Amino acid sequence: MLAAVRSATVFGVEGRPVIVEVHVSTGLPGFLIVGLPDEACRESRDRVRAAFLTSGLNWPSCKIIVNLAPSSQRKGGSGLDLAIAVALLAANGQVPVDQLERFGFLAELGLDGSLRAISGIAPMVAAMPDVISVVALAGFREAQGVAGERVRVAHTLREVVDALNAEAPWPRPPDGEFIDDEPPPLDLADVRGQAAARLGLEICAAGAHHLLLVGPPGSGKTMLAQRIPGLLPALTPEVSLAATMIHSAAGVRLPVGGMIRKAPFRAPHHSSSMVALVGGGSVGLRPGEISLAHGGVLFLDELGEFGPVVLDGMRQPLEEGVIRLARARASAALPAKFLLVAATNPCPCGGGPPGACECDEVARLRYLRRLSGPLLDRFDLRVGVARPNVDDLLASGGGEPTAVVAARVATARALAIARAGTLNANIPPDRLDELAPLHPAARARLRTELERDLLTGRGYHRIRRVARTIADLQGEHDQVLEEHVVMALNLRVRLSISSRERVA
Amino acid sequence: MTACPPQAYVAALAGFRNMNVHRLSALLRQHEPEEAWAVVLGEQPATGLIAQVLAAHAPVRASWRRCAAERPPARVWQQCLDLGLEVLVMGHPRYPAGLLDDRLPPPVLFARGDLSLLEGRRVGVVGTRNATAGGRATARLLGYGLAAAGVHVLSGLARGVDGYVHRGVIAAVSESNGSAGRPIGIVASGHDVIYPREHADLWAAVGDVGLLLSESPPGTPPEAHRFPLRNRIVAALSEVVIVVESRERGGSLITASEAIDRSIPVMAVPGPIDRRSAAGTNRLICDGAAPVLGVDDVLIALSYQNGRSAVMAADLRPRPRGNDLAVYRVVADDARTIDGVALLADLSLVDAAMCLARLEANGWVAQADGWFERTGSPFR
Repeated sequence: MLAAVRSATVFGVEGRPVIVEVHVSTGLPGFLIVGLPDEACRESRDRVRAAFLTSGLNWPSCKIIVNLAPSSQRKGGSGLDLAIAVALLAANGQVPVDQLERFGFLAELGLDGSLRAISGIAPMVAAMPDVISVVALAGFREAQGVAGERVRVAHTLREVVDALNAEAPWPRPPDGEFIDDEPPPLDLADVRGQAAARLGLEICAAGAHHLLLVGPPGSGKTMLAQRIPGLLPALTPEVSLAATMIHSAAGVRLPVGGMIRKAPFRAPHHSSSMVALVGGGSVGLRPGEISLAHGGVLFLDELGEFGPVVLDGMRQPLEEGVIRLARARASAALPAKFLLVAATNPCPCGGGPPGACECDEVARLRYLRRLSGPLLDRFDLRVGVARPNVDDLLASGGGEPTAVVAARVATARALAIARAGTLNANIPPDRLDELAPLHPAARARLRTELERDLLTGRGYHRIRRVARTIADLQGEHDQVLEEHVVMALNLRVRLSISSRERVA
Repeated sequence: MTACPPQAYVAALAGFRNMNVHRLSALLRQHEPEEAWAVVLGEQPATGLIAQVLAAHAPVRASWRRCAAERPPARVWQQCLDLGLEVLVMGHPRYPAGLLDDRLPPPVLFARGDLSLLEGRRVGVVGTRNATAGGRATARLLGYGLAAAGVHVLSGLARGVDGYVHRGVIAAVSESNGSAGRPIGIVASGHDVIYPREHADLWAAVGDVGLLLSESPPGTPPEAHRFPLRNRIVAALSEVVIVVESRERGGSLITASEAIDRSIPVMAVPGPIDRRSAAGTNRLICDGAAPVLGVDDVLIALSYQNGRSAVMAADLRPRPRGNDLAVYRVVADDARTIDGVALLADLSLVDAAMCLARLEANGWVAQADGWFERTGSPFR
């Protein structure tokens, strides 16, 4: 009267295999789940029982003990429902035990015996590579993206029982092309004017340079940022899989196709907590926004309004592309390689042309101080955005459409990868002379900027990387010319924190 | 404590919380300094305004007693000596004559530098703290030109226009053989509380070659209410007050109105009518202030007979030409972003950036927060 069934839970973005053991014995009728289940998991007792009864299955009035092994590891969520039900059926002799080791079961049960999809299917399926996963219909595409043919679907518990007993074939999965319900990416052609900002977006996408948009409210900073994902190439298979795992584990809706193939765009509000942004939580270490933006864009509007602690928490993942979360019970490393795009007003009142700012000196200083220092330094590009003038807004034709720009971006990215094996933003300082040699005039220009104290040492390297990207975009594959350096300098706006203290 | 001269008591009283010009003046009109000290501490009966104040606001007495304990005259006096300050109470032979018959004369002044400057020709130059590049250049040129003509220049040592005026004066002083006008700085905080901090060098330089005056004893923080009071001293000690750049409202307009109240002529530097930075000065001109189009206008207002001002050193900047000139004209017109420059000069973004880079390197334009502005001044 013992049966064991395979299933899995999620921790961080990894699936962890779980063996569901059920022992049915004589004694006072009862149902006990052991092995560190959380509340949702413990409640599965009631769902399983109701599903049995509505499906016309026999509920054994015996002592039932469910053990979730490994017992020392916390298990959360309702995804073990189906596995518990099937194990109980096997222990009770209603399905053959010898069939079970070929399958893994991942679904929540409804009281009517229907199967429901759960979050984290992709990483859980990946954690059971040697078995066929049984999932609810809504989880099929997601599971298929990871496991290919090793997936079966069922609508109800009854169908699962019949298929295991070989009384009926497994229900046919939905086939044919699914309809892509993803909205098309926002097009750059909608943006009127803003030539410098458009160039900033292009460079940002081509070289993976983090971008800060500085401008008054209403100048279109958010509109511009939303158009960056459209400029990025489709995700590579590895990144696509990782992104899918993260979204699945976090319970964020996946596209109908089941896989994340386009660069994600995440725009958390500035009231977001540290845990929401970098990940964490008591049971499963849920991935945060920076992981959900893996392979895509993390957009922080009103950068100065984010808590300083929250922003500081992002510095390590910005460097490493991974966020290492450690808790008393466990630790996890979640992928978090994203393009940081942020927007800020130049001062609390929004600013505008010189002399238009109404803020008093102290308020202005305090506002910019929140941004200053190590974080501001992470942005290769600091682009000033002004309100577009009336003529531009009324002009009939927009600028270049996204498709044209994206093609240039793709070419430049391929070029950078072929040359250095990495995108330009990641060129180490000691290889700059080899990978981004400066024309003498360009070198002279940088020297003057340094001598006039308009550029710091760190800024110097960043300018050279950005100039490399500009040269790539213009088809200048060898030397970086003066015009590229000048353009790069122009896309790194000096913020007048005060007359003496400038961020260069 | 017996070793303290009478001024020490006034100096200490001036630093009290809940003490102001009216109260201190009333106190000193009726009592000798030592006696005033005793009145404040309650050792002698108060009269007049002070009696009213003490009757109406009970906590004031306690507050004054605390202040007296924290800052006894001996300590304040020692601070003044350490800082090399001269303490001038009304009636002191060196107390500025121009303030004696003022509507609200400062009961005490703390001075560092050459007090005889107040007997020379004096012009006050003030303006907004948040100046445009053009305004800063104008301020500097005015300061330089006036000083080169031998006129002493008063200002408040604030950020923006005030600071640049005195930088111009100091440049003229360092180039001349001693005949140049000197800087006179009127500050709101104590001499040892430098505000704004980035003007530390300027404070020192003004004190060294000119005169630095404050109504507040050492240790007084730069509290907001002290600045309008400081402005009245700038106005009262000037023969002419010039406003360089100002919004519709602001400290420099307070100085102007203090000057008008004292029948001191006010002049203003005009600007384009659609620029906020010129709204205040244009309004002044509209209301009857004389426009300042150059240093000569000020010298004529001072009735200098042989009036041509010294010309600033020749402009050595390479003249822009070709596209650079077109870009400079666009920027000279109004502050622009690089987008605006490219659009108006009909250039590509890269060409516009190159032109701006050359202009900036040669000192014709300056950039901040993504905006490019002309650095030259209309005085040229």
